[in-house]
Amino acid sequence: MANDNSCKGIIKNALLYKNPIFVSGMVIAPVVVMANNILDAITLVSAFSIITFFTLLVSSFVPKNIVYTIRIILYTIIGALVYVPSVILMKYIMPEGVEALGIFFPLFITSSFIISRSESIFFLETKGKMFLDIIFCIIGYDAAVLLFAAIREILAFGTIGGTIIGMPIELSAFQNPFGGFILLGLVAALFRSILLFIKRVRQK
Amino acid sequence: MELMGNIMMTAFVAVFVENTIFSRALGTSTLVVVARNRKNLFGFGLCVTYITALISVLTYFADKLLINNSNSYVYMPVVYICILGFVYILTLLCMWKFAPKLFARMRKYVHVSAFNCAVLGSMFLISKYCETLSDYFIHGLGIGLGFVLAVYLTAIVYDKIYSEKAPYAFRGYPLMLIYLGILSMAFWGLSGHTLNY
Repeated sequence: MANDNSCKGIIKNALLYKNPIFVSGMVIAPVVVMANNILDAITLVSAFSIITFFTLLVSSFVPKNIVYTIRIILYTIIGALVYVPSVILMKYIMPEGVEALGIFFPLFITSSFIISRSESIFFLETKGKMFLDIIFCIIGYDAAVLLFAAIREILAFGTIGGTIIGMPIELSAFQNPFGGFILLGLVAALFRSILLFIKRVRQK
Repeated sequence: MELMGNIMMTAFVAVFVENTIFSRALGTSTLVVVARNRKNLFGFGLCVTYITALISVLTYFADKLLINNSNSYVYMPVVYICILGFVYILTLLCMWKFAPKLFARMRKYVHVSAFNCAVLGSMFLISKYCETLSDYFIHGLGIGLGFVLAVYLTAIVYDKIYSEKAPYAFRGYPLMLIYLGILSMAFWGLSGHTLNY
């Protein structure tokens, strides 16, 4: 894991060593339930990115001297206010996708990602580094969701982006939330193995 | 008798069949954090159940007053967050005033109990599926208890999941997801699936 607070370290941590999905386990509910195929995953990451980025952008102006009890309420109220234009915009761009997301769209407001990253202003020295961290964490989350959804779609439906690819068998259990949990666990283990392999190769 | 049966059924559905963690994965991130510390599990469980039960009653009144047009999906999350914030502050103030010892011990758990996807999700779920005030309350209570059950089932295997005996690639988080998946599959079976012989 990159421990330094340099720009390179922040990017590496956000994308790999502290990846929100495969390592840290943040905001996994919509992934387990909704990320069944690439098209749904695109709606999911769009909604997540818009709400998270703008909520954290506004939250960064919350003064540090306000007590945590009040700060946490402010973060969620900001999230709820950002949700209003976000849902109107998303409904205009991809109405069916928003319908499919259901209750998971507004749930981004109280996501563990927003709560934890809002507090990152207290341990990262500059706002520039904070935004670098946020942007690359969002990119890390989006890339992980899209990758996971692609694997799940291939295994569960035998398609990729809706196109049949002629899989010999379709494991339809992966369409369900329990299949999502199990597959995400397996992919997270694979991701950790790959990171370990890279580390060993570099050490040699 | 019929009323009692309905109450029991609603509670059973909320705790087991529609368990927030196992059926919709709501609050999984919170579960991963809370399951680490078994010492405060009871206090946390009590806090979540109290919050889901109380907000279910407030959600009922908010729904009856405000859900009257097709655009309610735009502003209802703001209303629900305000309800959550109100309950959060009320809880902290009451604990600080009437149970200062409990306040000192539980302060760090109250925000985790209030601001998580399971609690906010419970507001949307009961709003979608419940009609009467008693339905709202029992479902809210059941969701809280179901969440506590999920946290308890995770906490009891936490040490084994993070044990050095587990292969490094699976140790901790990946193994926990697989364990939750297996439990989720078992609970999914409760909703009834018959085999075609």
